[in-house]
Amino acid sequence: MKELLLGKLDGQALPHEWFTILGSITFILATIATIILITRLKRWKWLWNEWLTSVDPKKIGIMYFIVGGFMLVRGGIDAIMIWLQQAISVDGSQGYLSADHFQQVFTAHGNIMVFFVAMAFIFGLINYIVPLQIGARDLASPFLNTLGFWLYVGGVVMVNMFFLLGGEYAATGWLAVAPLSGKEFSPGVGVDYWIWSLQISGVGTTLAAINFIMTILKMRAPGMTLWKMPLFTWGSLCSMLMAVTVFPLLTATLFLMFFDRYLGMHFFTTSGGGNPMMYTNLIWMWGHPEVYILMLPAFGAFSEIVSTFSRKSIASYTSNVLGMIGVSVFALSVWLHHFFTMGASANVNAFFGVMTMVIAIPTAVLFFSWIATMYKGRIRYDTPMLWFLGFVAIFTIGGIAGLLLAIPPVDFQLHNSLFLVAHFHSNVIGGVLFGIFAGLAYWFPKISGYRLNERIGRYAFWSWIVGFLMAFVPMYILGLMGATRRLDHYDSSTGWQPFYVMSLMGGIIIMVGVALQLVQIVASFMQKRRLHDSTGDPWNGRTLEWAVTSPPPSYNFTVIPEVSSRDAFWKMKQHGLRRPVYEDIRMPRNTGSGIYISIFAFLVGFGFVWEIIWLVVVSLIAIIGFVIARTFDEDIEYTLTAAEVEKLELAREKKNHAHYAHGRVDAEDMGLREFVVTVIKWVLDVIKNRRWRTW
Amino acid sequence: MVAHKQMDHEEAANDRVMFGFWVYLMTDLLMFAVLFAVYAVLKDSTAGGPAGRDLFRLPLALQETLLLLTSSFTCGLGMIAARQGNKRQVLGWFGATFILGLAFLSLELIEFAEIIHEGYTWQTSAFLSAFFSLVGTHGLHITFGLLWMAITLWFVVKRGLTNNMVRKLALLSLFWHFLDIVWIFIFTIVYLGAFV
Amino acid sequence: MSKLPEHNMPKGDHGATRSYVVGFILSLIFTAIPYYLVVNKALSSSVLLIVILAIAVIQMLIQIFFFLHLGRGPKPLYNIFFFAGTVATILVVVGGSVFIMNNLHHMVPAEAAKKLIEKEGIYQINGEKTGACQGVHSNHKVTIKNDIVTPVYIEARLCDTLTFINEDEKSREMTFGSHPRHASYGGESELAVRKGRSKTVTLNELGTHQFHDHLDPGVAGSFTVIE
Repeated sequence: MKELLLGKLDGQALPHEWFTILGSITFILATIATIILITRLKRWKWLWNEWLTSVDPKKIGIMYFIVGGFMLVRGGIDAIMIWLQQAISVDGSQGYLSADHFQQVFTAHGNIMVFFVAMAFIFGLINYIVPLQIGARDLASPFLNTLGFWLYVGGVVMVNMFFLLGGEYAATGWLAVAPLSGKEFSPGVGVDYWIWSLQISGVGTTLAAINFIMTILKMRAPGMTLWKMPLFTWGSLCSMLMAVTVFPLLTATLFLMFFDRYLGMHFFTTSGGGNPMMYTNLIWMWGHPEVYILMLPAFGAFSEIVSTFSRKSIASYTSNVLGMIGVSVFALSVWLHHFFTMGASANVNAFFGVMTMVIAIPTAVLFFSWIATMYKGRIRYDTPMLWFLGFVAIFTIGGIAGLLLAIPPVDFQLHNSLFLVAHFHSNVIGGVLFGIFAGLAYWFPKISGYRLNERIGRYAFWSWIVGFLMAFVPMYILGLMGATRRLDHYDSSTGWQPFYVMSLMGGIIIMVGVALQLVQIVASFMQKRRLHDSTGDPWNGRTLEWAVTSPPPSYNFTVIPEVSSRDAFWKMKQHGLRRPVYEDIRMPRNTGSGIYISIFAFLVGFGFVWEIIWLVVVSLIAIIGFVIARTFDEDIEYTLTAAEVEKLELAREKKNHAHYAHGRVDAEDMGLREFVVTVIKWVLDVIKNRRWRTW
Repeated sequence: MVAHKQMDHEEAANDRVMFGFWVYLMTDLLMFAVLFAVYAVLKDSTAGGPAGRDLFRLPLALQETLLLLTSSFTCGLGMIAARQGNKRQVLGWFGATFILGLAFLSLELIEFAEIIHEGYTWQTSAFLSAFFSLVGTHGLHITFGLLWMAITLWFVVKRGLTNNMVRKLALLSLFWHFLDIVWIFIFTIVYLGAFV
Repeated sequence: MSKLPEHNMPKGDHGATRSYVVGFILSLIFTAIPYYLVVNKALSSSVLLIVILAIAVIQMLIQIFFFLHLGRGPKPLYNIFFFAGTVATILVVVGGSVFIMNNLHHMVPAEAAKKLIEKEGIYQINGEKTGACQGVHSNHKVTIKNDIVTPVYIEARLCDTLTFINEDEKSREMTFGSHPRHASYGGESELAVRKGRSKTVTLNELGTHQFHDHLDPGVAGSFTVIE
């Protein structure tokens, strides 16, 4: 009876290791604290109506950033744990993590960073910026947008669920290669949590990608042909085209793995005719394009940033677009380079090695285009530009390492060594993460209404650069010395320890950089009067998003602009901006269906993990019910009349003027010392005057 | 003036939804591609158990194919009726599609039951895992399609043949035709392929 | 918001109906043809496979055009582009997988397979016995000291083991067959035996075979394996 009701759940599933207890307490306390805070501020209704059920891509974008930010910290803690273990676990010392726990840590680190941090930030940026850039009010399907976001959140909850129930995550590496990930060798629930967290958020990604494609292809402002789109939008389009192509492959492969584990099938097992190598083949067909999916929006953002901060239009728009398309097309022809050593013949390895090198060509075209844009430009070294320059340095190092790895005989020596680890971190951190940081610094004024503190931003940037080099250059060397990845213990006779220790110190400096970024945001908020963006165009930008106020109104544009050239906004500024004639606007209503469907999607996954069949059945029926309710609901929009729009616009202008009327204007961006002093003064003030009584 | 803009708004929304659904169908096709790839690679891994030629009966497969093909045809005629605003014909043709689809599904379930009855399941070998997954996934899609059809027809009865309903029927037809196209390849690669 | 469609096909438009009828009939034909070809085994195996696949593609195109109306209507380019892209991807996914998995399978040479089978104790594959040895059998020792092989000839039963013991100061590379055209035995082509160490091979092939030290071919012997 208990089995019918609770499946495999029993007392054993509750936390009983130090890290599961610690993790559970942390999450529970954080949840309770949040609930108390919201209750005291009486913001439940506001939260639900203004944010959680919102279909506004700007709000959804910000929510992606927030959740992604938390997961960045979570994944970063995993990284420090790995560094720490590897720095001290030599000879007699076994470190502080058991081998099995260590394996779970690096698996979680990889999954979280790729799926729940990088994808989240990219989707956040695309959600917020692309509609503004193409002159649209919203995405093609507001419902799919919120659904995609909440499915992502479902994945986030699932990947952290093991702390509370189950006690183990997958210990197989971030892609859970067969047969290790099969039921025979990983009988616990860890791999099942892995499967469902990826499956649920993966479906969200596919739906979001379809949505973005529909939007970019069908909702551009009149006159904006594909060849006149901003480059960030191009990068996003190429990225989403790839996403829509390869995420179904992941979904199917995860289902096959699930069938093996759950239904006793023999796709990737070591008996019954199964072929584990097929899993490796399929998963990398998804895995390789995935890294380009992350990269291309970053490339697009960089294109815009280089142009704006060199105060020149991009050197060759066509080359940039063709470069991005080239990368997208070739992305599907290189996946075997992840398993050169699996035993294919020399000719097959050679083909894929050559194709891997060929991908460097469109990438190089992009780089040269950016450098050509900088040439004879009047360069401003604001933080977005600094991040771009950092990207050039670090991504190039990673790229060259990649070219080396593309040669099969070389890869036979370096496969799964720390050289490989340093390579992909150079590209993902130097490329994707720096691109996100650059994009955030660039578009932050648009999103918040005030720009970021430049001084602390510079400190953060340099921390990252120094920290990164100190952490990963030793890793390249270690790889060449023969150190394999995922090692939890080694002999001192290898001579590796000094390098591991240096790597750990570099990691700590990176953490300082992250802390400085958080300080930067807080400091900017403190000085937001001074840093206020009153025109909506703080950088003298060229694309449409700078034509609206910062932050934009919920409907983005009062009137959809007519576009006649690239750098549409630049053209408008030349001809002088005019006050538009207001008209009625159709806006989509908020909806909770995204949340409800995602809750039940999570329960389906959870039910499968613990084999609670009735939960799966009930949740599936509920999902179908909500989908029917939503798709047959005809009342999903409302109208903002022209009069209401005018009222909103006037109120906004008044608020803008008020900003300058009150408040002092500081002399310059505050530095670290002033920040610390301000914080201490505030804390003392709160304590002395017992201000918490009024919260 | 306002009515004209609203018409454009509706047309544009229509166009977007049809296109978006087409893109979704492409992603579904790609999921099937993985199942086909796995079938192609593992179809000879019978682990001492039966192969396709031991289990499949071509006449049955032909019957299933004809049922599904005909249902695709009646579905198309139903769409024509929908665009002409002919509610009775819509219910008639789509009703026929539903019945044919249900017949297809029944035959398939009987086929599965027979194989299982002989003692061979998806746990027997990689080949059988691939077979049940590929054909089963298609069957699952058919099931969802039938469910979708029933609900949509119910709403057509209740709300009449409005623009929105016609669009929903158009999406359903796309889905149904696409399932028949996938079946062409299942028929060819799985059933005919076993006897080549 | 809910009004009857007015800008769609006029009543009694036979063009649309004709499209479906033509598509249906063509599909019936292109279903019947491969069916009868296969049932009657009208062509050779490989040709037949290509033909029925080609016919499947043709029927798909028929249904894409006549049922799904791809290519007709306003702005068909996007749909066609996506369909073409999907087809290309499917070819890469299915074709690429089949090709690569096939290649991997053929890259496992017979000898390596034999060695693996023996080492991993894989006694049957798909119901067929592999010939790997099970159970406990006798061990035969061959000692090499001062470049002398003792004993120089061994008679053993199938599945016994043979151990080379190197009691000299230098390393040896035991291999089979006669120098310089070596052979492999039981999947092993070379056994590196360092000074003071030993290596064992399972005698899973019948007949008389020679062995020698590749680095010093004068050091040689032979053994016969019987049932």
